[in-house]
Amino acid sequence: MSRAGAKPIAAVFALVMIAGLAASAGLQTAIDRRMAPYLGTPDELWIPSGKVLKRLSLGNSGLMADIYWTRVVQYYGGQIRDRKTDFSLLGPLLDITVELDPNLLVAYRFGSIFLCEASPRGAGEPMQAVRLIEKGIQANPDEWRLWHDLGFIYYWDLKNYPAAAQAYLDGSKNSHADPWMKVMAAVISQKGGNRETSRFLWTEIYRSAEDTMIRQNAEEHLQSLQAMDDMEELDKRILLFREKTGRPPQALSELVTEGLLKGVPIDPLGFPYRLSPGGKVVLSPKSSIRLEEETPPPQPEKSS
Amino acid sequence: MKNSSPTLAVTLNTFREAVRDRVLYNLVAFAVILIASAVLFGEISIGIQKTILINLGLSSISVFGLLISIFLGIGLVFKEVDKRSLYALLSKPVRRSQFIIGKFLGLNLTLAVNTALMSAGLWAALYYLARRFEAPDLFIWVAIYFILLQLFLVTAICLFFSCFSTPLLSAIFTFLLYVIGTFSADLRAFGEMTQNASWKALTSFLYYLLPNFSDFSVAAAVSHGKPVAGGLILLNTLYTLCYAAVLLAASVAIFARKDLK
Repeated sequence: MSRAGAKPIAAVFALVMIAGLAASAGLQTAIDRRMAPYLGTPDELWIPSGKVLKRLSLGNSGLMADIYWTRVVQYYGGQIRDRKTDFSLLGPLLDITVELDPNLLVAYRFGSIFLCEASPRGAGEPMQAVRLIEKGIQANPDEWRLWHDLGFIYYWDLKNYPAAAQAYLDGSKNSHADPWMKVMAAVISQKGGNRETSRFLWTEIYRSAEDTMIRQNAEEHLQSLQAMDDMEELDKRILLFREKTGRPPQALSELVTEGLLKGVPIDPLGFPYRLSPGGKVVLSPKSSIRLEEETPPPQPEKSS
Repeated sequence: MKNSSPTLAVTLNTFREAVRDRVLYNLVAFAVILIASAVLFGEISIGIQKTILINLGLSSISVFGLLISIFLGIGLVFKEVDKRSLYALLSKPVRRSQFIIGKFLGLNLTLAVNTALMSAGLWAALYYLARRFEAPDLFIWVAIYFILLQLFLVTAICLFFSCFSTPLLSAIFTFLLYVIGTFSADLRAFGEMTQNASWKALTSFLYYLLPNFSDFSVAAAVSHGKPVAGGLILLNTLYTLCYAAVLLAASVAIFARKDLK
């Protein structure tokens, strides 16, 4: 074949290839849409034993643990993204991860947060988190922060203040532990749950967390506690307003007019507080702050 | 010196031959890409960016080193016989023992150079990620050294099998022995669980007879900055030297009696 004849043939081939690729891409998009119902298979653990996986890893258990930890993160993130409330695989996946690498501290520390968070933001299984952290303490006795995590779960999620105080006290005996662990043990033991202690503990989590997601979670809790403080203070000012004028205020701006406030206060996200028809201070509907559940009344330790 | 120079010549020739092998370059390049991917892998997880980089890097060095040692090791003797280059070699003043030792050292030199290249990739990725090195990072070198010791043992096993078997069977035997070697502690534990004295004795015997590759698994610990005791480094070195010497002696004995006609 002559060279002049070869050029048009090559061009035709190129065009056919481009058209073919474009067509197959279009077909793939159509297949993706039709495949969606078949892809929604339930999550499963093919090998549920960490011990078996450790042996199968042929000496690469560290890498396998990292892969499983990434699977935990992806599973947790995926369930949250898809607004699913079933976190049944979270516990077994975490157990496998720490079986593969008992020194992988992030799996204990962040895994317990995923387990503790109430539905729909987590598994709502604080007792599973306690067992996970206890495993971590057994494998890593020098890591005093695991005691802090254990105490925090007892304090915040289980409202079991004697157990929380004991965890902080046990953790404070570690030579590397921060001095506030001992103080925390005493404060919880005497006062039980209170907002100041909660604020301190969330601040500590915010300060020590390296991951942005965990920091953001702690920040949201701190914002919630701040909003609760603000609203409590505003309720006091409303009471003063009533004493002064003999009637309830219709809006917070009236408190400003009466000189009880310098301006209409805003929540930590920058949205102004409002008055409900019942006269209670509430958050703006635009604000995404989720108010914490109030802790039960303090449980003072009985003096012996 | 007179006795060692033929061994050295075989060693260097084996190294040169391995370096010319294109498969070798592909594996090294792939390992480097894998290590680089660890940086990206860390992005989809939480709090383990450095840990996963170290674990993935060390596992890559180990797995690719294992592949190189098996696939080059199985052909060490067979290729020379198959291509009939061994006859020309043995017609020169080279003893069969020198040939075997030279082949073993040559492949180990190749593995050491490859491991050094992969390690350089790992350290570069580590620096890219952390922008600095910390004192506990030094123990990564111990993990790399242990991988190298493990590879030396695999080479010795491979060479041993290649002295009397075909390349395919040598590869299968070596890989199976490697797998069994990582389970040897379980083998002994199994014997202890049976409460039967004969089983217990047999599994204990196998535990000491088979190479124990789990001795070299410190990657997970060093990825968390945990130190490795100096005593363990010394004992693992001596164990490798001792076990490899036994295998090498057996290989020399078999090869010395091999009918090359």
